[in-house]
Amino acid sequence: MILDLERFQAQAGPRWRDLESLLAVLESRPDRRVNPPEAEQLQELYAQVAADLNRVTHGALAPELRQYLERLVARAYAELYYAPPMRSEVWQPRRWLRIFTAFPETFRRNARYFALAVLITLLGCAFGGLAVRYDPASVDVLLPADYLRNPGQRVHEEEQGQGRRLDSAQTEAAFSAQLIRHNIQVALLAAALGVTFGIGTALLLFENGVLLGAVAVHYTQQGFGLFLTAWLLPHGAFEIPSILIAGQAGFYLARQLLRRREDRNSRQSMREWLVLVAGLAMMLVWAGLMEAFFSQHHAPVLPYDFKVAVAAAELVLLAIYLLMIGRREISAESRSFVPSENR
Amino acid sequence: MTNTASTRALTAAELTIATPEGVLFRLPLAGPASRLYAMLLDVAIVLGTVNGIGLLVYWMFAKAPGFGVMVITLAEFAIGFAYGALLEGFWNGQTIGKRLFHLRVIDQSGLPLRIEQAWVRNLMRVFDALPFAYLVAGISVLSSPVAQRFGDRVAGTLVVRQTPLALPGEEFWTRQKYNSFIEYPTIAMRLRRAATPELASLIQDALRRRNELAPYARREIYRELAKYLQSEISPFPDELVERLSDEQYLINASGILFGDQRPSRGKG
Repeated sequence: MILDLERFQAQAGPRWRDLESLLAVLESRPDRRVNPPEAEQLQELYAQVAADLNRVTHGALAPELRQYLERLVARAYAELYYAPPMRSEVWQPRRWLRIFTAFPETFRRNARYFALAVLITLLGCAFGGLAVRYDPASVDVLLPADYLRNPGQRVHEEEQGQGRRLDSAQTEAAFSAQLIRHNIQVALLAAALGVTFGIGTALLLFENGVLLGAVAVHYTQQGFGLFLTAWLLPHGAFEIPSILIAGQAGFYLARQLLRRREDRNSRQSMREWLVLVAGLAMMLVWAGLMEAFFSQHHAPVLPYDFKVAVAAAELVLLAIYLLMIGRREISAESRSFVPSENR
Repeated sequence: MTNTASTRALTAAELTIATPEGVLFRLPLAGPASRLYAMLLDVAIVLGTVNGIGLLVYWMFAKAPGFGVMVITLAEFAIGFAYGALLEGFWNGQTIGKRLFHLRVIDQSGLPLRIEQAWVRNLMRVFDALPFAYLVAGISVLSSPVAQRFGDRVAGTLVVRQTPLALPGEEFWTRQKYNSFIEYPTIAMRLRRAATPELASLIQDALRRRNELAPYARREIYRELAKYLQSEISPFPDELVERLSDEQYLINASGILFGDQRPSRGKG
């Protein structure tokens, strides 16, 4: 108990109030910019008040005063060490448009996580397909009720237009929004499940694969392979890759979390994850529109060959986009699209 | 008893930050309850906004209700994520709910959070909200030493409490004319050494809330505090203590604890 609090407070109080009013000015500024004289004053006051805090912490029993000074020091510390993003950077449309090239670049940079997602999905497909092939009874377990109906009947209904209520562009629009929303939610979950060290992501991908494999084999067995391709692939050409990219993002996140703390570059990895998620969301918007407006129209209206050709064209375009767009050389230093600077 | 102890430990959680200059300061962390209330408020605001937009959209798309539904469904979904991400990103870590409940999201180094952190922690809600009512997030917050939900762990962020603090004023009991405890500097010194900051602030709080307490409660609290001090911490001579009320005892003790340094002042 070395400190005479009363005298100390009388002596140091003015500079605390100075710092408080300086901080109030700085914090109310939307762009959080500091001009040189203010920076100098802030630096000086910060050093003094930090020293005052040390004296109170070690030399007096004054919890309230200590709390007050801690708060002051914390605020000044944040102002002093945080370099806000340039306002011009944040609102430049060109920087935001870079997402369109950053997405394929990021995709290629982390291709091995994509490969892992493909592998797990293929394993699921094989499991589901073989199960249905060799044990037809497993259809009841593997497929949700919607698909359980006899494929022949389903195809007939679809072709007659009985199975759907999509009789106008209006309902199709509403349906597409629900699809987009649902798909993005599932994909986002797959990407977020990376936080379970990838286990959740793997399970979700595997389950998805099982379903895909079981449906494919079930319909093909009964001779509806072409119908199924024409039914699922026009939107599946974007939907399935985007779920795989969600898996890629999930595994990428898991890998980052498994790194030792000092090896992490959390800023870079957060950006990569966000770019992947933003990219797959854009893909799913397209897939949702296709599913509602195109996939649900069948043979008399749209010939199956035409639908399959459209799907193939989509796949080729997507592959070209993901593999060719953006910078060819893969450099770790490449700039990311989210504009913000720190330190 | 264990129950109250654990809640206290939980609400009193704090993060200590060491700056490059070697200054240590603590940031009080937000408890799960206040975060939940802030979130509920935010959810209400989002729902209100979405419904408002919905009415507008229905009116605009009166001839094409299907497209109206499409716009609303997508807008609702986008606003659900963007509300938190954009507000936290551009409003220094606060949504409207967080601001009202004096909470702020910050980087775990004590600096303001960056825009991409705000997006990551808000997109991670799809996992934190599982299986219902943010159960996963709740478990994560309770098991984390710094009260992080999974979104916070991934984004490297924290939620801190920021109740506005004013410079503590001069307290009346430190300005007492005469403090008889000063006559016994050895025992007074012992009191200062042995009293923890928690005990000291407890005494201070008890005195400050004098007029808020019911007379009976006040008498009991003061009696217990004085008894505890006298028997466990600093036994002042009985002939002195007998002449003092419990309240006066605490006022004197508080005067010793909070800065009365001048033994000769009272006498002179």
